[in-house]
Amino acid sequence: MIWERKVAKRFYSHTKNKNWYSGVLSMLGMSVGCFAMIISLSVMNGFEKLVHNKLKGFDGDLRILGSIKNIEEIKSIEHVTKVMPFMERKGLIEEIDNQKIVTFKAIDENIFSQFYDFNIRGSVLKSGEVIIGQDLAYRLGKDLGDIILLFSPLDQSFGFGIPYKKEFKIVGIFQTKVLDYDDRFVFLTLSDGNDLFRRKKSIDGLDIRINEHSNIKEAKAEVFKKTGDLFEVLSWKDLNKSLVSAMKIERVGTLCVLSLIFLVSTFNLATSLTLISYEKIKEIAILRSMGATKKSIIKIIVRCGFERAGRGAIFGLAMGIVFVLIQNTFSIIKIPSNIYFIDSLPMIISFSDFFVITFLSFSFIFLSSYLTGKRISKIKVIKALQWAK
Amino acid sequence: MGKIILEAQGLNKSYLNGNKKLNVLKDFSIQLEERQIITIMGDSGSGKSTALNILGTLDTYDSGNLFIAGKVVKALDKTELSNLRNQDIGFVFQFHYLLPEFTAFENVLIPTWIKGDNNTNEYANELFSSLGLSKRKEHFPSQLSGGERSRVALIRAIINKPKILFADEPTGNLDYKNAIKLVDLLMKINENFNQSIILTTHNPEISEIGHKKFNLVNGTLNK
Repeated sequence: MIWERKVAKRFYSHTKNKNWYSGVLSMLGMSVGCFAMIISLSVMNGFEKLVHNKLKGFDGDLRILGSIKNIEEIKSIEHVTKVMPFMERKGLIEEIDNQKIVTFKAIDENIFSQFYDFNIRGSVLKSGEVIIGQDLAYRLGKDLGDIILLFSPLDQSFGFGIPYKKEFKIVGIFQTKVLDYDDRFVFLTLSDGNDLFRRKKSIDGLDIRINEHSNIKEAKAEVFKKTGDLFEVLSWKDLNKSLVSAMKIERVGTLCVLSLIFLVSTFNLATSLTLISYEKIKEIAILRSMGATKKSIIKIIVRCGFERAGRGAIFGLAMGIVFVLIQNTFSIIKIPSNIYFIDSLPMIISFSDFFVITFLSFSFIFLSSYLTGKRISKIKVIKALQWAK
Repeated sequence: MGKIILEAQGLNKSYLNGNKKLNVLKDFSIQLEERQIITIMGDSGSGKSTALNILGTLDTYDSGNLFIAGKVVKALDKTELSNLRNQDIGFVFQFHYLLPEFTAFENVLIPTWIKGDNNTNEYANELFSSLGLSKRKEHFPSQLSGGERSRVALIRAIINKPKILFADEPTGNLDYKNAIKLVDLLMKINENFNQSIILTTHNPEISEIGHKKFNLVNGTLNK
């Protein structure tokens, strides 16, 4: 054991009661900081995963844009599990005195239920039928079995032609709670799409699902290799760039705000270490008179800091992880499932978050102890000895 | 004549007391040879402790030159100065200044820890036994008598076999019996270990142990 550690340990265990109390406070401060950081980031991760899953559940993992022909070739890629051809068009739903702008998404009805992962009320999609979002149904005042009139103005022929309109029966109502999807999308079959979008000659692209354990970047590269430069390949993150980057910014903001807890604990720790140092100023001066360098004195104070706040940080981190595990096992914190689709607070702790929190907390402890140690080491030996007489 | 291990040439030290300059040491010159004891006698406030602190590199001087073990003290950087204190200098203070958190034995070993020498336990045991403290090794300073504390402080001061031992009124806090015992020990250390010693005291009887005896009066050193 290096001697500075030995001295720090004794200094730490032989402090007066009032300074011991302040040490406990700095330990608690660091504990609370680490615990709060772990919990907040875990909840954020949980909800992020939920949103990511919903986005992927609606759009798939990858999208190829363009009228691609070799669907079978795409299906044969190792990472790919499902492929959904689609046509997309802005269109209108006509009411008696009103028209609503929506996005028609014509898809292969045979693999609809295997491909999409969101809540649907109703039955399977067939030709002449549509599935609409819950908010749109609410806006239109429609329910399952009702008839709506759809038409695509972009495909309207010029001249005296009346735009082609077609009646569809609502056979399903979906709910994603993601962005404005529930208010915007109308699913119909590819054959109805071909019928309605008269100017379109082929599909707009393919939505692709990949293997659960596949790496999305690798899968994207593989798909791109097959499609070549003629088609654009986008991941679900590319499709929702602004949302994903907003979430990232939110995470950084949370980290910064919660770091303030560390900052407060750091002030507390610095005060506590200063108190200990002044209590032990005579001993520090004696060590200096025996040849201890200023660097050694700083080391002792830094070790004292880690003895106090370091233990607190480790305790807080451990408690945070235990809490996340308990929540994931026993679901002690409930949330309304009609809003979030899950009935307990989602919590996920990642290794990188754990590393960042540990690094941040220990950096703050080091900084505060080092600065205190540096200040204390500057006190003149003679002054300190006379002071302590 | 032995080898000179400490030489002070015309050291001056002053403090500012408000706007008034207070000269504590004036043209202070001294030479310490190997195996020599120098005693500096003086009244309280004569500058004894300041002189010893400067010679022991714990304090700085305004002008003059100081050489210890062939090194120019002013030319040493902070680390070199710490090493000098650790390896070439031993201190015994009036107040024993043992660390209360450590046992007597640990207190003695601290200078060796700082030096990075972990093979001195045997030597420390020898010193404890020669100073009659073997049974008190594991006691904390608060469990020792005044005399025992002083002896532990003395062992601590010589554990790294320093070239010079500084003793600043080592008997000032002891009763007569313990003071005599400590002085005997210092003489024994000087004889048995060839230890050079500079000792300050206000007691004329103790100052008699010096091979060279000085009086410090108002910062001026007289033979």
